[in-house]
Order: sequence, then C-alpha cells, then structure tokens
Amino acid sequence: MSSPIPTPTVVTTDVLVLGAGGAGMCAALRARETGAEVLMVDKCGIGYNGQVPIGGGILAYVYPSYVDEWVDKITRGSHFFNNQEWTRQFGSRMHQATMDLADLGLTFLKKDGEIDILTWGPHIHVTLFDAPKSLLALKKTAAARGIKMMDKIFAVDLLKRDDQVVGAVGLGLVDGKVYLFDAKATIIATGNCGYMHEKSYASVLGEGPAMGYRAGARLTNAEFNSLYVWGIKLLGKELMGIHFYLYLENALGEKIMGKYYPELMEGEHAVYTFDPRVIHAMYEEVKAGRGPIYLNLKGLSDSEIAHLGEDIVADLSHLMANDTMRLLREKAGIDPGRERLEMWPRYLYSGGGLRIDLQGRTTLPGLWAAGGACSNYWTNGAGSQAGLGVQSAAITGFVAGEDAGVWAVSSPRLGIDPVYAERAVARVLEPLGRPTEIDPYEVAYRVHEAIVPMKYNRVREAKRMREALDILASARELLDRVGVTDFHDLARRHSAESMLMAAEFTYRAALLREESRAQHFREDFPERDDANWRKWICIEPGEDGPKLFTVPVPVETYPLQPAEERER
Amino acid sequence: MAIRRFDREVCTGCGNCVAACPMDVLRLDEADGRAVVKYPADCIACWGCESFCPQGCFDVSPERARGELVSPY
Repeated sequence: MSSPIPTPTVVTTDVLVLGAGGAGMCAALRARETGAEVLMVDKCGIGYNGQVPIGGGILAYVYPSYVDEWVDKITRGSHFFNNQEWTRQFGSRMHQATMDLADLGLTFLKKDGEIDILTWGPHIHVTLFDAPKSLLALKKTAAARGIKMMDKIFAVDLLKRDDQVVGAVGLGLVDGKVYLFDAKATIIATGNCGYMHEKSYASVLGEGPAMGYRAGARLTNAEFNSLYVWGIKLLGKELMGIHFYLYLENALGEKIMGKYYPELMEGEHAVYTFDPRVIHAMYEEVKAGRGPIYLNLKGLSDSEIAHLGEDIVADLSHLMANDTMRLLREKAGIDPGRERLEMWPRYLYSGGGLRIDLQGRTTLPGLWAAGGACSNYWTNGAGSQAGLGVQSAAITGFVAGEDAGVWAVSSPRLGIDPVYAERAVARVLEPLGRPTEIDPYEVAYRVHEAIVPMKYNRVREAKRMREALDILASARELLDRVGVTDFHDLARRHSAESMLMAAEFTYRAALLREESRAQHFREDFPERDDANWRKWICIEPGEDGPKLFTVPVPVETYPLQPAEERER
Repeated sequence: MAIRRFDREVCTGCGNCVAACPMDVLRLDEADGRAVVKYPADCIACWGCESFCPQGCFDVSPERARGELVSPY
C-alpha cells in the first residue's frame, strides 16, 4: 500500500512527557506544579503500562539519618565508579519521594496509620505499594491537576530547531494521524530496552534512548546492568518470590544453589528473580552438561508453595500475571506440587541510557530524561537493591519535571522548524511505501539471537561479542527490507530498530571496556582495572555511525576518594 | 495460541484491555464499541487484558502467538 502522507496534526504544550510510566507520571506532576502546561504521551494505555504496575510494588527506602553512610556504602560498593553527586541526591531524596508518592495517590502498606518501612536486610529498607493500581492512581491525580494525556501515540523521533529539542513526531496508532508535538521542554521517560524476551516489561523497547541518540544526545553506561531474570520456561515469565531458589535442581536431581553459594542454604535469605547468583548457577550447570534446570516443589502442599511466593502481600492488589502458581494451574493444567518445572533465565533489560546531569538534563538543550531511559550511574556497580528501580523512576522524574517546568515557564517558544519536521516525518513514514517483504518480528527475533544467549551477553568475550555484532549486522540488513501497511506495523518496525540500536550499543561498549566490573564480566579481561578503566563509556552519533569515547570518573572532585589510589 | 478465548458477548467496551495491552493487539470496534482482537499474532501472552478485564472475557494461553523464543544458553 502506498498511502499519501497525511497532513500532520500539531499539538502545542509547554512540557512534553514521552512515556507515562512511573518516571513520566512523576515528571509530569512535578512539572505541572511549576505552572507549565503539561502533556503526557504514551504508546500504550496510560495508567496500565510501563514497568511499575507489573513489578513487585517495592520501593527502596533510606532513612534520612543514614544517607551519609548509604552514599559511602554505594560509593565503595561501586569501587568509586558512581557519580557521587547523583548518589547523594538520590539517597537524600528517597524519604521525601516516598512521602510525595503517597500524597500523589499511591496506596502504601501501612502500620498504625503510617507507611510501614520494612527491614529486608542490614540497612536495607523498603516500603510496599499497590503496584497494579499505582499508575491509575497517579493518572487520576494528573487529570485532576489539568495535565493533558494522549495515549496510543507512538513517539518515534524528536524535533529540533538548530541544536535545541522542540518536540517530537508521533504516530496515532488508533486514529492514523501523524502528530507533531510543539514543546518548549521534552522529557524522555520511556524506559530503556526490554526486548520483549521476558514478558514483564514487554512494552519497553528502547524507543526513548534511540530517539535521543538520533537527535544527538549522549548515551552512557550501555555495557552495564544487562539483566537476566529466572522463571518457569513454559510461562515465559520471571518467577517472583524470594525463597524459590532453594528448590532449584539440575537434571540429575541435585540442588544447584548450595553447590555455588553454600551460605544461601543456611538461615534466611531473600533471593530475587533478578539475583545474578541464580543465573550464574544455572549457566554453570547447563554448561557442565547437567541441564536443564528445574524447580522441584514436589511434595509441598499448596499453602507451603503459596508461602514461598511472599511477594503477594495481603491488603495490596496483585495482577493475575504475577500469581505464578495460579497461572500454572489454570493456564497450563500443571500442579506445581506434583511435577517439576523447567526453568530458564530470561533476558529482561538492557542498561545504560541517556546521560543526565543533576537537573535531569541531557546533553541537548530542551531535552530531559528520567527513569530507565536515563543512565542509573548513581549506583553503578554497587549491586542492586530491591525497589531501586521504582525509586529511581520517581526521583529522576521529580527532578527532571521540576527543572523542565521551570525552564519552560521562563523560556520563549522556538516552535517547530518546518524543514526539520518534514524530513523527520518522511523518515518515520518511509517503511510504509516499501513492499512487505520482511515482518518487523523477524528483525526482533534476530536481535534476540544476539542479545539473549548468555555466552554473548553475560559471560562476555571479544570473539563471541563480535559474533553477536555480526548477527546484529544481519538484523540491520533485514530491517532495511521491512515494509509495512499500517501504523501498528510501522510502530513495530521502529521498535525493532530501537531494540537493534540498544543491542549494538551494549556490545560496542562492552567490547571497548577491557576489564570486568560489576555485572559486566569479560572472560578475556576477568579483573577490574581501576587504573585504566575508572571511566564512563559514552556514545554519540558520529559521521560513520556511533562514536564511542570515555570520560574519566571525576573522582578527585568528589567528597569520597579511594585512599589506596591516592597513596600510589 | 495466546488469546484463546475472547467472549465478545460479555464485553462492555470499558477499554481496559486495550489500555493494558503492551503490544497494541486489542482495539475498540468503531461500530459497536466493544473490544476486538485486531493483531492476534503480536500477542505475547502477558495476561494484561485478562488481569484488567472486569468481565472475565479473556482466556490467554501461556505460549505467545509467535511461539518459541531464543534460548538463553
């Protein structure tokens, strides 16, 4: 089908927020408080999608009196690789962000009328909130405060006038309109890239970082925080519940976790679905020929099994999609107490994102980023803590929203550059004119072949990563042959491109970093190399494709410095 | 497989399923306002529609519409 290019519909706002998940909602609400007109746009239905509703409803918490020690702990844990200024801002804002989220409508688990701050480990605290209904609650508040919302709009590219971002191009998935959003300030809050290998964050496909990069914004930390989760293969979904790890066994019927982590088999431990230790044990066992890995709950009663899934908290609602045992029984006719279940690691999420400063500003004027779409380098390498993702969405959202709002209220409107806009729309619509030779799914599947296998992405090594990049090069050839007939498929095509870009960035950065650090593990460079690699890898568009360069961590300007380094 | 049952007779057109679908599989029919499964092949079986449908219209299988995924090993 060769349709005529529809005349774009122009929508004007002060602050444009792309993505209405946790970060987008917080950004929009805070921007609105500055008096700015705010418009939130999402490719899905606002209130239901993004990562927050499907997550566990866990929000990390740090007591204000503990912030100094927390910053110290995170900094040392990351071997002084973090952005200490952001780490401090993050830690010191957690208390207020939690209270603000409650004021904005989130339902928290309470005790004696106060938000219940739970202790999940030494100095590890969380609060629990009603995740499935959280975005609907924030949406209600946003609507009451006059924030405009448009859902089922797929934003593809940013609009610029000279060097400044002045809005975005979007596809109306339902109405078939092309939208030009004319904004003084634009906030990307679309998450990073989930690749839809794991179901949980399937809507998050890298569109935001990709559009930021295409416009010239800097990305950073693409090699870090690549995350695998583990779950029941049949359901294709991560397994929530902190005690299931005790029941993992190999094909020979041997319990696997005690072989690698005997300390986990004694006393009480909370092992989450994203715990790298489980992924490590599964990988090693399968590599040694003792796969597949099973979850063996045989002989346990229904109530004993239910007890293992402790993520389900009374008084808070939960999605059917998170109630694994019920899904097994109802959907697959499997009684988990009677047969063992094959388990798979699943690739959940890529790391890194748009580089932001302490105000949430990217390197492009007029463009901010929040949540998964920006790089979480304030905890870089310090390991994960339950609920940091949601807290980071909230805090980066609040920070970016406030700064973008103040900026928009006090700055003139540059307006859309018609020449730039025409070119941008032509690029976005170009696959509509092509023959439908290749479906976008074939591109996405090819990207999975490069990004999902742990031999490429978890236990990294130069030759294998080049193999993965070759697979991605063939995915790019496929992408060039994708033709589509409607906006639904056009959006899938652009998502496939975003996934491809996220995967390319991950491997290019991982190849450059010739050391092992945090969860970036190089078989060929197994040691951490602070002398040469206490540097952040950045990516910007260059003349011949992505330009990679490093920026030394400015540790000498930070309050905390490694003593042993100074003495050298 | 994926959406293996959608009871259209019971659908009230509330739109929750359309909003909850991360893959844009569902739409509201312009004629009668009820949901339609417009792009069944793109369903990844996340159970979003089933979780948020107040009428219990959906039964979604464990498998995605497009089947097997790339192995992590």
